Amino acid sequence: VRSFGARQFLRTNSYAFALLLTVVLLVANIIALPEFVSWDNIPGDLAVFAPFALAAMASTPSILSGGGGLDISVGPIIALINIVFVVDLMGHGLGGWEAVPILLVLGTALGAVNGFFVTVLRYQPVIATLCAFLIISGFNLKHAGSPVSAPHNWTADLAEKVGPVPGALFTILAPVLFWILLKRTAYYRTLYAVGGNDATAFSSGVNVYATRIIAYALGGLFAAVAGIALTALTHNADANLGAQYTLIALGAVAIGGTPIGGGRGGLVGSILGAATIYLLQNLLAALHVNVKWLFVVYGILLLLGLMIGARLVAPPRTRGAT
Amino acid sequence: VSAPAAAPTPPAASRVDALRTHPAYRFVTGLQRRGPFLQLLALVLLFVYGTSAIPSFDTKFNIYSMLFLASLLGLAAAGQTLVILVGGIDFSIPAWIAAGATMTVQLTGTNGFHEWPFAVGLAVIIVTALVMGGLAGWICHDFRLPALIVTLGMAAIVSGGILAWTGGFIDGQPPVWLTKLVSPNAHTFGWGFPPLVVIWAAVALVIGFALHRTIAGRWLYSTGSNPRAAALALVPTRRVWIGTFALSAMLGALVGMLLSGFAGAGTTAIGDPYLWNSLGAVIIGGTAFGARGDYFRTVLGALILTELTQIMTGKGYSLADQEILLGIVILVVVAGYGRDRRLRDRV
Repeated sequence: VRSFGARQFLRTNSYAFALLLTVVLLVANIIALPEFVSWDNIPGDLAVFAPFALAAMASTPSILSGGGGLDISVGPIIALINIVFVVDLMGHGLGGWEAVPILLVLGTALGAVNGFFVTVLRYQPVIATLCAFLIISGFNLKHAGSPVSAPHNWTADLAEKVGPVPGALFTILAPVLFWILLKRTAYYRTLYAVGGNDATAFSSGVNVYATRIIAYALGGLFAAVAGIALTALTHNADANLGAQYTLIALGAVAIGGTPIGGGRGGLVGSILGAATIYLLQNLLAALHVNVKWLFVVYGILLLLGLMIGARLVAPPRTRGAT
Repeated sequence: VSAPAAAPTPPAASRVDALRTHPAYRFVTGLQRRGPFLQLLALVLLFVYGTSAIPSFDTKFNIYSMLFLASLLGLAAAGQTLVILVGGIDFSIPAWIAAGATMTVQLTGTNGFHEWPFAVGLAVIIVTALVMGGLAGWICHDFRLPALIVTLGMAAIVSGGILAWTGGFIDGQPPVWLTKLVSPNAHTFGWGFPPLVVIWAAVALVIGFALHRTIAGRWLYSTGSNPRAAALALVPTRRVWIGTFALSAMLGALVGMLLSGFAGAGTTAIGDPYLWNSLGAVIIGGTAFGARGDYFRTVLGALILTELTQIMTGKGYSLADQEILLGIVILVVVAGYGRDRRLRDRV
């Protein structure tokens, strides 16, 4: 009896299935359209991918922290950062590098407020973040009801190249680097402990509230990076653009092997989940699938992918749903 | 002889504890445990405020039109209530509303693709929704996938299917009788009351009866509160999930049919406002994930939400301001009853 096989690998590494899908879809994309990986196209491809991958990353920490921690407000926070950056900061001569810390602090603070409502005030995460979604979207609409275009600025490089390196790599890898550093701290382990079972973690003396508030704040921080990446891509302030990322990002997290229950999975899975969805949409376009059928094919492939993944990863069968 | 020792000073949290042990507080929480007392109070207070703040708020016409709008919202939130009770969430409802509206005008209306008899079109709509909704429930249950992502995938298939089928040209108009039926000014058998509200009341009674007085209702609650325990108690959890999601899709499609009559047309975006609003009605009503709540609470939630919208529109708030206020109001309302237990009480 083999104690370690491909199936075992899939089971013990939550991101493995998304990795498999990403590799398969990447190869399929290259076969369908070899220019996809040409040196001229990669920076552009990555720039489109960046806000999406970052939105998926922003949705991850709160889900990891357990308690059904869906953060619906990620999309509006991305839009808010985008609007504040273009309308308020660039409009008042603060559009340079000094904007970055301001935006990151703003995103982190908004995430922390979500965390405060979820933990200290004991709202269900969906309700707290739904209210944040409504309030922030309302603010966005008031502030930039119609798109405001940005002057040419330094973020253009993030959507193209910084020296020889695709600029989007910086925005995508910044949270990853942060996460790797976080892994070396005790916080990382308490986060998974709280996500796995909050009552047990509480009994063992873990500060559950602080852990969760930081998790939501991390989501806000990553959403701020996503807002910057979106600004780099569109050079616009648009109230509607960012909000669309909410639901698709949650889909990416699910494909990436992070269960909604929390305590398992991680950031890398979410990036790979986002890559799966992005590459799938790209492949359908490259294959000239009639635009009319695009959504149908996308939906069917998404469900099939999830079902196959669930069967591969499924532990020995027990009755009952989750 | 020393003076008797002073009573020990109470700890700092005593003011909160004093509030918690106050008879009035206990009375309110006791009532709330028996039923949606605070929701009813919010409904009445909002009505009183609306009457005083907005001219002609309490006229028969305005009350009927509020009831009418609440009916559409309440019916759209019916499926969501069931799905949330069973422990899932359904993000495909707007897609099903659009599908129901489009299929109604294109299959049975004038100027569409077909002019089938209405009953045939209705049957096609219901069967399609039941089969595909049930499929989503089956996938969630048997593959243990989160309902959120499965229903999003299903929503893509449904709205994409409508786009592929119509090519984006939806010119049909709903049958004339449907337009007449779904109007705030219509009559119910000669009685000057909107028929849609009567339909809603009937649906609420049926769902309420099914949830509280039938075996299927018991199954639904036990599956929602603990699926493994339910399965071990021989509750057919798979059938519960399939049935719930099938019903949710069907109710969405039927709301779409009604909305097409109200709007006089079917569009692919007709369901979009109902994504967050229907969830808001369920939440304000006080139904929570995993078998806490029922449909009567959602009925109250839909009424409260409609009153609020009407008041905000009457006071001349912009859509953006309405959204912000709605967020704040949900926070305030839910603070009264919808919060989780304290962590230290769950250990």
